[in-house]
Amino acid sequence: MSSPVDQLTGTGAEFRPAGALTDLNQALAAYNGPWNLKLAAHLLRRAGFGGSPADVGSVAAAGMSTSVERLIHFGPDSLPTQPDGDISYDFSPTADPKQRQRAFLATQMWFANRCLQTPDPLRERMVYFWSNHFTSGLGQDGITPQQTVNQYNLFNRYALGNYGELTHEISKDGAMLLYLNNAQNRRQHPNENYARELMELFTMGVGNYAEEDVRESARAFTGWTVIRKQGDAVTFLPQLHDDGSKTFLGHTGNFMGDDIVDIIMQQPATARFMVHKFARAFIYDNPEPELVDALAERYRASNYDTAKLMGVILRSNIFYSDRAYRALMKSPLELVIGAHKTLGATQIEPAALAAVARMGQVVMQPPNVAGWPGGALWLNTGTLFARVNYLNQLALSKGGPAAAAPAGGDMMMAMVNNPAAAMRMGANIGDPTQWMAGVSATDPTAVTDRVLWMSVQADATPQQRQTILSYLSTDASGAMAPLSMENLDEKVRGAMSLAFALPTYQLA
Amino acid sequence: MANRRQFLVQSVGGFAGFLAIDSIFARAARAAVQAPASGAVRTLVVVNFQGGNDGLNTLVPYGDPTYYSVRPTINIPQDQVVKLDSMLGLHPQLGALKPLYDQQRIAIMQGVHYPNPNLSHFRSTEIWQTAAPEKYVDTGWAGRYLDAQGKGQQPNLFAGVAVGPVLPKLMVAERTDVPTISDPRAFKFNGTRGEQAAADNILGGDGYKYPFQSPYLQLVQDVESHAHAAANELPHLVSGYKAAVEYPKTPFAQGLNLIAGVVNANVGTKVFYISLGSFDTHVGQRNQQDRLLDQFSAGIAAFYQDLAAHNVDSNVLTMTFSEFGRRVQENANRGTDHGTAAPMFLIGGNAKGGIYGDHPSLTDLDYGNLKWHTDFRSVYATVLERWLGIGSVPILGSQFETLTVV
Repeated sequence: MSSPVDQLTGTGAEFRPAGALTDLNQALAAYNGPWNLKLAAHLLRRAGFGGSPADVGSVAAAGMSTSVERLIHFGPDSLPTQPDGDISYDFSPTADPKQRQRAFLATQMWFANRCLQTPDPLRERMVYFWSNHFTSGLGQDGITPQQTVNQYNLFNRYALGNYGELTHEISKDGAMLLYLNNAQNRRQHPNENYARELMELFTMGVGNYAEEDVRESARAFTGWTVIRKQGDAVTFLPQLHDDGSKTFLGHTGNFMGDDIVDIIMQQPATARFMVHKFARAFIYDNPEPELVDALAERYRASNYDTAKLMGVILRSNIFYSDRAYRALMKSPLELVIGAHKTLGATQIEPAALAAVARMGQVVMQPPNVAGWPGGALWLNTGTLFARVNYLNQLALSKGGPAAAAPAGGDMMMAMVNNPAAAMRMGANIGDPTQWMAGVSATDPTAVTDRVLWMSVQADATPQQRQTILSYLSTDASGAMAPLSMENLDEKVRGAMSLAFALPTYQLA
Repeated sequence: MANRRQFLVQSVGGFAGFLAIDSIFARAARAAVQAPASGAVRTLVVVNFQGGNDGLNTLVPYGDPTYYSVRPTINIPQDQVVKLDSMLGLHPQLGALKPLYDQQRIAIMQGVHYPNPNLSHFRSTEIWQTAAPEKYVDTGWAGRYLDAQGKGQQPNLFAGVAVGPVLPKLMVAERTDVPTISDPRAFKFNGTRGEQAAADNILGGDGYKYPFQSPYLQLVQDVESHAHAAANELPHLVSGYKAAVEYPKTPFAQGLNLIAGVVNANVGTKVFYISLGSFDTHVGQRNQQDRLLDQFSAGIAAFYQDLAAHNVDSNVLTMTFSEFGRRVQENANRGTDHGTAAPMFLIGGNAKGGIYGDHPSLTDLDYGNLKWHTDFRSVYATVLERWLGIGSVPILGSQFETLTVV
C-alpha cells in the first residue's frame, strides 16, 4: 500500500470539489459525495491551520465523517499552557525594554507554536477565532502577557464549548476588564465601553438595542475590576457596584452583569449575529441571510453548543461546495503556520512572527476592538511582497534539525541579545529529498507535480505549472539544464517558493 | 462596478440559491503607469509623527509663563526658541524650517483634534487615518480620495505611494492598489535570478479560468500583478531623476528622496505617505523628541530645496499629523503622557504662511489636557477641496468647514 505522501502525485485533474447547491436543507445536509485529497486539504485549512502532506493524506484516507468526528472530539490538551521563560512585564516607563520585548515575544511564540504543534488543530483554530471575537491587545491598556495567556487559556477551555458561558466568563476576564475599561466602571463614574462593545461586537450587533440599554447595562457591570497590587486579581468590589434598579431590553430588576448576559442570550439577534461570524470565518464571507437564519435556529435551540454548530458546518454540503472552496483569504498567521506544515517544520521561529507583522498582523494585537477585518484587506502590494518574500526565504531556509534554534527561553535570550541574528535563524523545515520521497527527483515533471500537490493540491493554471516545469529544466540564463543531484536542493526549494507565490496558495 | 465594500454589505436580498460570484473583487482594469503629465500635478505628502508628538515643545508658547511652570525640566528655554512672534516659536531643532517659514511657505494650525479624544495610540491613530472618530471604518481617508479621483479612468499604478514596510490604514482603498515601498531595492520578489524570471509569469497572471469560483482569486491575481508591475516600473520612473541636494542619511530623509524621485517622474501620483517616530516620549522627552524633530526639519529642508531646484516645489504640499499631543504637565520621568490637541503643519504647495487659530489655554484644561478648537477633518477638507480640488463630503462623510490656510 502506498504511503499518504505517495498519493500526492499526478495532475489531480480527476478531483473536483462538489458542485453548487440551490436548496437550503440540502446545503446543510451531510456531504456524502466523493472524498479526496483536495477536500481533505480544504477541511484542514478551515478546521485548523492547514495540514502537512501526511495530515492531508490521512484525512483523505479516513473519510469525511471520521475526520470531522476526530477534529471535534479532541482529547485533553497536551501542549504547554504557559509560555516558556520569564514573561513578567513592568509597565513603568523606566522598566527594561529588553525584558518587555522578551515577554511579548515569548507569549506570541507560545501561541504560534501551539497552532503549529497541536495534534488537535480545531481547538487552536477556535482559540484563534475567539481571540478575534472577544478581542483584546497584548500590552495594550495595561494588559500583561500573563493576562493575555490567561485569556487564551479561557478560549482554549471553551474552544467548542458553550458560547453563553464563555460570554459570562469573558465579562470577568482580566485582560477584557482592562481592554474595554470595565476595570474603571464604577457606580460614581460609569464607563460604558464594555457594555457597548458587548452588545455591538460580541453578541447582538447594532440595531438590536438602544443607547438607554447601553447606559443601564453599564451600571450592572460596575464593580468588576482588576487589582494590580494583588497580582492582577479579578475582583468584584461591592462598594463600586451600582445596586439600583436597571431596565434592560424591556426587563427591569436589580441586575448584575451576569443577568445582562442572560438576557442577551435570550435574544434571537444574538444567535444570528454569532452564526454570521462563524459562517464568515469557516464557510465564506458573504453568507446568505437564509443560511445564517437556518444555522442560527439550530445554534439557539442547542443553547449555544459550539461543538454541535461546528459539526453541522464542517459536515455540510455547502462547506464542501465550490462556492466555499478557496473562498476565504488566508490571514498572515494561517499562511505562515500553513507553510510550515507544508514543509514539515515543527517549530516556529521569531523570524516568522516578524514576517507575520510585515504582512499586517501582529499576533495577539488586533488593530481595534472589532478585530482583524480580514478578507480583501489582508492583501495589498506591500503585504503581497511580504508574503511571497518570507515564504521564499522559508523554502530556502536550511535550518534542519541540527541547526535548529535553541528552544524556549534560550532562544528568547538569543533573540533579545542579538535580534538581527535571531531573525536570520533558519526554520527547522524538512529538506527537499524528504519532500520528494517516492518520486523521481530528477524528473522535472514529477517534481513539479509533487510541489504543486504539496502546496496547492494542484490548483494551478496550466501556465503556472509550465512555468515551474521550465524553471526546473533551465538555468538562470534560460538555457536547458537538467535536474541533477547537484542542483536538486536549490531547484526544489526554488520551485516550492514559486508555488507559495501562486494566487491559490493565498486562499483558504 | 463591484468592489470590496459592496461585497461586504451585499448579504441582503432574497435567497436565490448559491450564486456564482466569480471575480466580484476584480479591478475594473489592470493599473498601468500613467504617461508623464505635461503640466503640473498637485500632490500631497502626508507625514505621520507616530507615537503622539508633544505640540507644546514643537510650537512653543514661550511667551506664556505657565508653560515654564508646567514644564519645569523639559521646557525650551526662551533664548533657544526659534521665535515666530512675541508668544510663539519653534523648537530649536526645527530651525532648518525657519527659511521656509520666512518665505511664507509654512502654515501652522493650532489646537487641532477631534471630539471625545481617545488616548489609545492604536485607536487614535486609526481615527486620524480613517477620519472616522465615531465608528470603525475599513478604508483610510486618502484611500477613499484615491478611489474617488480615479473613478472612470484607467487605474494609475502610482496614484498613491506609501513609504514604509506596511500599508498605512490611511491609504487603504476599495479599488486602488498603493505601492508600499520601504527600500526600493527590496520592493520586488526577492528570489534568485532564475526564480525571478519564473515569478514574472506567476505574478503577472495568465487570465486562466479556474474550475472553482472563489471570490478572491481574481483580486489576488490583480494585486500580484500590480505589485509586480510597480516593482518593475519603479527603477525606470526614478532613473532620470538626480537629487539636487544631498539628503541626510536618516530613513525619513531617504524616504523623502524616494518621494522626490517619483514626484519628478510626474506620473500622476496624488498622495504620498511617510512616517517618523516614535514620539511616545514618556521618559526623557528632550533627548528623544529633539532627535526626531531634527530629522524632520533636516529632511523637509533638503526635500524642498531639491524640489525647488527641479522647479516642482509649488506642486507638493506636505501635511503633518500625529495621533495626539501630550499632557500639559510634565511627568516625573522628564517626559509627558498621552494628551489631546496639537498643531499641524502645512508646508510648500500653496500653503499660506503663518500661524492659524489661538494657542489652546494652558490653564483651562480638560482632565489635564489641552482643549482643541479645530477638528482635524476641517484640515483634511481644506486640503481635499482647496489643494486637490475634489469634493470632500463623499470622502469625509459630512461637510467640514474649510480653512483659508491654502
